[in-house]
Amino acid sequence: MDMTRRGFLKGAGVAVAAATATALPGCLQEASAGNGNRRWGMVIDLKRCIACKACGAACRLENKTPPGVAYGVFLDEEKGQFPHAYRLSFFRPCMQCEESSCAKVCPTGATSHRKDGIVGVDYEKCIGCRYCIAACPYGARSFDYGHNYIEAANNPYNAIPSSEYGAEYGLRSKGRSPIGNVRKCTFCLHLQDEKGEYREPTACSRTCMGKAIHFGDLKDPEAKCLVHGEKMQELLARRGHYRLKEELGNEPSVYYLPA
Amino acid sequence: MNELKTTFSQGSVIARLLGYLILLAVSAVGVWAIFGTLRDGHIEATTTQNVPWGLWVALYIFFLGLSAGSFLLSTLVYVFGIKKLEPAGPLALLQALGCLVLGGMLILLDLGHPARMYKIITSMNPTSVMAWMGFFYNIYIVVVLVEIYFALRPQLVLKAQAGGSSAWWYRLLALGSKRLDPASLARDKKWLMALGILGIPIAITVHGGVGSIFAVAKARPNWFGGLFPIIFLISALASGGALLALLTAVFSRLPKEAKRGVVRTIMRLTVGILAFDLLLMCSEIMVTYYGNIPHEVAGWNFAMFGPSWWVFWLIQLAVGAAIPILIVINPKTGRSAGWLGLAGLLVVVGIIGARWNLVVPPQLTPTFDALPNAYHHARFALGYVPSVHEFLVGLGVVALGLWAFLLLRKLLPLDEAELAGVENHHV
Repeated sequence: MDMTRRGFLKGAGVAVAAATATALPGCLQEASAGNGNRRWGMVIDLKRCIACKACGAACRLENKTPPGVAYGVFLDEEKGQFPHAYRLSFFRPCMQCEESSCAKVCPTGATSHRKDGIVGVDYEKCIGCRYCIAACPYGARSFDYGHNYIEAANNPYNAIPSSEYGAEYGLRSKGRSPIGNVRKCTFCLHLQDEKGEYREPTACSRTCMGKAIHFGDLKDPEAKCLVHGEKMQELLARRGHYRLKEELGNEPSVYYLPA
Repeated sequence: MNELKTTFSQGSVIARLLGYLILLAVSAVGVWAIFGTLRDGHIEATTTQNVPWGLWVALYIFFLGLSAGSFLLSTLVYVFGIKKLEPAGPLALLQALGCLVLGGMLILLDLGHPARMYKIITSMNPTSVMAWMGFFYNIYIVVVLVEIYFALRPQLVLKAQAGGSSAWWYRLLALGSKRLDPASLARDKKWLMALGILGIPIAITVHGGVGSIFAVAKARPNWFGGLFPIIFLISALASGGALLALLTAVFSRLPKEAKRGVVRTIMRLTVGILAFDLLLMCSEIMVTYYGNIPHEVAGWNFAMFGPSWWVFWLIQLAVGAAIPILIVINPKTGRSAGWLGLAGLLVVVGIIGARWNLVVPPQLTPTFDALPNAYHHARFALGYVPSVHEFLVGLGVVALGLWAFLLLRKLLPLDEAELAGVENHHV
């Protein structure tokens, strides 16, 4: 009997040790991808924004997000009472926070920071617990519940692949990623070339007819907006700027110039 | 050994049959719903991008709380040596294990990719509270399992030695152990104490850790704060005690006097803990309203005056606290095992309401007020009411838990262990 119990405990000990050993490599993840010389960000000039919401539409077309999944959304709100009524509206992509809440709480490390500051999701690692959605102060994440614009299986719309993450997950099918995963804006990561430079800027900034959305590198002081050519840092220096919910300390990479 | 045989009248046989039939029907529907979730994912759930965690998560923390509470109560017996509670020790441990498994089932179903659940361990992110909770969850299961073995070992050996057609089963469960001498019994006790001492911080870490999952989310002001995990733990203790009192009152075959003593001790303890739980909640509510930060006030407004106001006032406060407290302090009802068992049931139901109010209303305020209008789809709409499917899955899991309990009562020498506890107590 003695031996049995000892043997059992030994077995249990070995099992725990084995579990810990397999967990360790996960803890020591390799450095993530991306161009470390860049820190991609946005400067959104609300004085130029006419609230046409084309940014959100362009985002949906570019990333081919299904219904119920939103990457960039345009928030539009009427506040106050007459005669003090005013309109508060702005485009909200993912803030690509330097101190993001989502990557911090993700249990499997599926959400992680690339070296260029973009926060991405590894769909194979994501278990769909939605902790990141609960933790994101900007509501910038969506769970893919599996809705489709057209439910018929082989309709032409569903046959157009989404190009996000190198089109690896282009065509959605039941029970497979990205259905059951949490999805988010990646600053149109699929538009980057092999060196981590953008072949063309993000869909939202490209489409903005008021030229309100500037997109570019925030690290290099001389870097210019990839769409309109202004110096990113000059845009920030010339006028007052703010970031959303700055008091939470998430250090977003998206700046707003006041309306 | 006391006579265990109980005689049943014709009426109680019919009632029992009816009970089994209802349970069978409920579990059939529930299992069908569970398979639906595994097949179709979350498309039938009404959780949204604003309220990502719904009924299943509320039930998950309910079960995990029951488990942690039951386990911590069992340490009163095995670590702190409170003889009065000794008969309830084995059941408390079994309850801890059962609720842990049921909670695990619910959270598995709540995942978008249940098959990848193991990645919480194999690809663990050390900065994630949830990952650490999962890690300790596994250790906790092992501790509870081993402790159950030592709590039941003497009875398993006795049953195995008694022979009969099922002796092989008890020999298997006893892992070949055959000794019943005082030295081996003393060693069981030692193991139980050691595992109990080890288990206390682990149980607190697992359940406090679940509370911390919410408490660290600064995006949700009603979750964020240091009191939140403590409220989790205190309600856990209350719910664990209440369930233990309920199951003891209903299923125990102890002599009447002994049974009443055990149930009364547990329920008095439970009600005291419940009162402390209410105090913590009052503190949260008063500080929130005094501080008057709009988003925080909105969270409590949703809980108390929103669409699910009745969960707060009727289930959590009236059914879950006021009535059971009155039952326990009333000298007449406070002496009857039946009434006290009912009080236990009410507390358990009330804690389900409390768990709902901990999980759902704090999410009802979107991170930006304009978000529900920014995207016109049900998944971005304001509010959350669980779908029928979600309720059925919850019911299914509870029904499976009941089946498991009924089965384990047949397969494990629980009644004998309970009686042994009484005999020890009177020696």
